[in-house]
Amino acid sequence: MSDIVSAQGVVITRGSRVAISASDFTIPAGKITAIIGPNGSGKSTILHAVAGLLPISSGSLSVLNNTPLLSQSQVSYVLQYTTVPAGTPLTVMEAVAMARYPKLGLFGRPSKEEKKRVLAAMARLEISDLAKRHLTELSGGQRQRVYVAQGIAQDHTILLLDEPLTGLDINSAKTIDSIIHDEPVRGCSVVLTTHDLEEARAADHVILTAGRVVGSGKPSDVLTTENLTNAYGLGSLHEHTATDLILPTEHHLNDHPH
Amino acid sequence: MEWFLDPFALGFQQRALAGGILAGLMTAVVGTWLVLRGMSFFGDAFVHGIVPGVAAAVVFDVNPLIGAAAAALVMVLAIELVNRQTVLSEDTSIGLLFVGMLALGVVIISRLDSYSGSLTTILFGDALGVTAQDLVTQAILALVVVSAATLLYRPLLALSFNQEKAQLWGLKPQRTHVTLLVLIAAAVIGSYQSVGTLLVFGLLVGPPATAALISRTVPRMMFTAAIIAVVSVWAGLTLSYHFNTAGSATMAIVPVVLFFIVLTITKLRSRQREKVESRV
Repeated sequence: MSDIVSAQGVVITRGSRVAISASDFTIPAGKITAIIGPNGSGKSTILHAVAGLLPISSGSLSVLNNTPLLSQSQVSYVLQYTTVPAGTPLTVMEAVAMARYPKLGLFGRPSKEEKKRVLAAMARLEISDLAKRHLTELSGGQRQRVYVAQGIAQDHTILLLDEPLTGLDINSAKTIDSIIHDEPVRGCSVVLTTHDLEEARAADHVILTAGRVVGSGKPSDVLTTENLTNAYGLGSLHEHTATDLILPTEHHLNDHPH
Repeated sequence: MEWFLDPFALGFQQRALAGGILAGLMTAVVGTWLVLRGMSFFGDAFVHGIVPGVAAAVVFDVNPLIGAAAAALVMVLAIELVNRQTVLSEDTSIGLLFVGMLALGVVIISRLDSYSGSLTTILFGDALGVTAQDLVTQAILALVVVSAATLLYRPLLALSFNQEKAQLWGLKPQRTHVTLLVLIAAAVIGSYQSVGTLLVFGLLVGPPATAALISRTVPRMMFTAAIIAVVSVWAGLTLSYHFNTAGSATMAIVPVVLFFIVLTITKLRSRQREKVESRV
């Protein structure tokens, strides 16, 4: 199993704060990788660094055998927070079509193929009927589906998703979950962050974070009671098995996640 | 018919109309991006920020456009400096520079014998004093501003959507942001002679804000804003002629009044629609 991402002794800072201290981890190709950890443990920071949005302070981080910045065109990133100012006259179709800008450049006219890519992405997320609706007229779940459609409409070999299922209605969660499992079949690698232990267990590969990478590997090897206790520092873990454990989620803790 | 034609019978009145239309076009196009990016407060501060540059140009008898451009540059750099060196929010740094630059402008102009006359012209413009040379300068600036704001549609839309996404798509959001600031500066500098530094803000924000209420897409918003701006200039000058009011101020007040008229109509229509839907 080849790796699309390889990090050795990587340190990532946000401002003056060290978000991830010296850590090693890998992300395998064509698989689903889940990054799990408490709020502020560095989950989104890792996605930002892989996407080339955040430079590393030391160590090495290679993405598709290159620097993150040089691989940026092959990475599609669905951010956790995409706040479009209210009143922006932007339709669903236009928002998804923006994902083709890297290919079209400033003045390129979209070909039939380009339009097909956009329509196909919308169809996969079951938002074709919302094409002419404004983003501000959609529910949270519908909007998240638009952002994921935008993510898959872009050319990519890696799809990064920051808490894609958090706070969604059942239909939206089901649709996005099917995309997560469908992308590896199409030859893409999926990396997502989550607070859901069961979701992490269902992934092919897991990275457990707590201001550093506590473990990186198969879920059964990483999500052990000892590692989870290290990551979450929960005394209650002694009274539960790791399988029973319900981890604090964004809904329970209203902190800013990283 | 005479009621509509009389206000533009003389050369200086026609130049006032042409100057106002050029100002309206460039401020509407660039103002669309200003409104979409939620930078209205910056725009307000910015138009006040050029006052000391224009005042210094009047005192030292140099081209006011050069003074305005220099002041605009100082304003943007100072806001960036405060943002980078402190943890204060951006609106604080904008507010500081807003007051500071305006006060500095008044201090500079107060050294002139014709203090109040010069200050009034800078702040409120002199629509009827626009010369043919002013129109040429305005036309060049309008061409540059409208072309750039249209050609940079994709980077500007991506930046308005999300700065991080724009970066991921390789659309260089920082460079786009700086370009937008330059375009705003050019539009303000190119318009202040017609409508003044204070009132240019009315044209910068009024038409795009009104267009946003009735537009489904950004290009349509830009186009509608341009039409509203042109109508505002024409209506403002016509009303000022017949009611003997200040031309620049009347031009600036029309888009604001239009905004509230359109807002009321759209609200009434949506209420009516809701009533019909609830009956069904």
